[in-house]
Amino acid sequence: MKAKETLIRKHEEPEPARPAAAASVVGISKRFGKASVLENISFDVAEGEVLVLLGASGSGKTTILRIIAGLEMPYTGKVILHGRDVTELPARERGVGVIFQSYALFPKMTVEKNIGYGLRIRKHKRKEIRETVNELLSLVQLEEHRKKYPSQLSGGQQQRVAIARTLAYKPEVLLFDEPFGALDTQTRVHLRREIRALLKKVNVPSIFITHDQEEALELGDRVAVLNVGHVEQIGTPFEIYNHPATEYVATFLGAANVLEATVRKDFLEVGSARIPVEQDKFREGDCVKIVFRPEDVALNRGDLPPSGHARLASGRIEEISFVGAYERLRLRLDVSGADECKADDTPYYLTTETPERPSTKSIIATRPKPEASTTRFQVGEKVTVALTSFTVLPPQKGTKGTN
Amino acid sequence: MSTIAAMRHVRGFDVARPLSIGTLVFLMLPLVFLPLASIFIFGTSNGLDKFWSALMQPEAIFALKLSMATSFWATVFNVIFGLFAAYVLSRYNFWGRNALIVTISLPTAIPTAVAGFALLLLWGPYGTLGRLFTPHGFQIMFTAGAIILANIFVTFPLAFGVIKPVFDTMSRSLEEASATIGATRWQTFWHVTLPSLRGAIVSGALLTFARAVGEFGSTILVSGNLAGRTQTAPLYIFAKFNEGQIEAANAIAIVLALFSFLIFSVLFFARDWLDVD
Repeated sequence: MKAKETLIRKHEEPEPARPAAAASVVGISKRFGKASVLENISFDVAEGEVLVLLGASGSGKTTILRIIAGLEMPYTGKVILHGRDVTELPARERGVGVIFQSYALFPKMTVEKNIGYGLRIRKHKRKEIRETVNELLSLVQLEEHRKKYPSQLSGGQQQRVAIARTLAYKPEVLLFDEPFGALDTQTRVHLRREIRALLKKVNVPSIFITHDQEEALELGDRVAVLNVGHVEQIGTPFEIYNHPATEYVATFLGAANVLEATVRKDFLEVGSARIPVEQDKFREGDCVKIVFRPEDVALNRGDLPPSGHARLASGRIEEISFVGAYERLRLRLDVSGADECKADDTPYYLTTETPERPSTKSIIATRPKPEASTTRFQVGEKVTVALTSFTVLPPQKGTKGTN
Repeated sequence: MSTIAAMRHVRGFDVARPLSIGTLVFLMLPLVFLPLASIFIFGTSNGLDKFWSALMQPEAIFALKLSMATSFWATVFNVIFGLFAAYVLSRYNFWGRNALIVTISLPTAIPTAVAGFALLLLWGPYGTLGRLFTPHGFQIMFTAGAIILANIFVTFPLAFGVIKPVFDTMSRSLEEASATIGATRWQTFWHVTLPSLRGAIVSGALLTFARAVGEFGSTILVSGNLAGRTQTAPLYIFAKFNEGQIEAANAIAIVLALFSFLIFSVLFFARDWLDVD
């Protein structure tokens, strides 16, 4: 655990001092019966920040959201909103806004009534309620729908009503439970841009949960990747995509190639191949993993790597497929030779979940269309494989399953 | 038969259609339509004045009023109880929950005479509980209270049966949303849960009321059937019929029949209004 934490920190760019946390979750764990669904979850959301909890189904992300909202009690840990410990408070006293996946608009109330509900039950003056509702209606651009019932609105409009309904009582934090899950792809992309703009305008700290990595990268100021009840990594979309802290993060956020390597004095050894590297994190003889994205692979005819790239090995093209915007190639690396780390018992089950995980010596590369059409490759052709960038991970120890 | 089948093919004219509809109506004629029609035909055959004067008998008016009043209170009780029972039984899972659901639904299956008899055994002057109260001058049997008790018993599951399914299918997230917005349980129930139940409550109430107004078997046992005191409309019909006063019985029968038509039309035609706003 310790080793991993220091490693994560290494990857983070020196970050600007973030303002004090608007909402924090401290050491939350949760069990349902004997099954542990969350283990020691901690994170902060700064004022005005959007944090995305990204995880596959069953990763516990919805449970975290429900715990923050007060709809579920944690087994251990605390929920702190603007410095106030709310762990013991019921949902209604927390002042959080939840946008449910189904929106949960009150079907027998008009749009206006829905938005004004929070103020009505707080016994605000009628005039005040009317003014707030009017403001919010114009903020979410639904003025002409004020007298309609939720069933008469489209999914996107309902969602905007749901957001306005929570904004009415000035929530401490907004929680979005898979807000785009019920919508088709096009609306989804459109809506998340709209919501992102809206959130920046109202400046309320927000937590989104989603299983969609593209959504997470686009929406989040920061993203927390969850895996079976624990946080794998928290960072900006750039960090988690380009410097994944674990193999899970690397493979969950898009396709990634993973190669086992041995650390040597000033290079990494993958079979017979050597990648020059300057590092001080690992000792000689350590077994590590090299992770790189398919788009980080550069291919060249001949023996030399394209300039500015680290040569990995030579390889043979096994398959070329055209996937719309780019070309995808499967290559077998020519890295015969003793492989010390092969014996290292990396548990198989840790990696089987990832759909495109190539076998150790075969990798996936992608090339943008212009490059693919200038330099055409044939199946069976021998090329030099080089890397634009890559991340070195320690073997998966101290993560799930072992503690 | 083969000719019929052949005709279908030749002309594209479905003989089975008028044939089956005709059979249906023909079967229902003696079973439903004619008996109902005869009430009206007979009741008004001597002119509307006769009908009116039969209806205006003090005992007749009293019987109708008593039926309405006792049914009303039984309905009020059973709707509130049904709402409460449906809430508890659909929100909480506990040991014995199914047993309770079955018990609530049981009165539908019990013959009404048995229900009335059971109430007598409990509350009558020599009944299990009744004998404790009778010496103190408290006697519920043979009063309007007994009629209400009997009505409550026989209509017990009706409102519950309509409301519970609505509770079951109601999304929990509405109530959760209301809670996160800041509402208390009571506010949530009042502003969110109850409006969604409006249709179920109205139809449950109408069903209960209609059933209670017509109740005979249990009422005749527990009320004592005292004209002008504990005689409900159906008991009045029975009594007048026995006395040979067919017109008097018929007048009330018409009123009760019209009344049930009315309730039924509300249930039938106001469906949309009851369900969606």
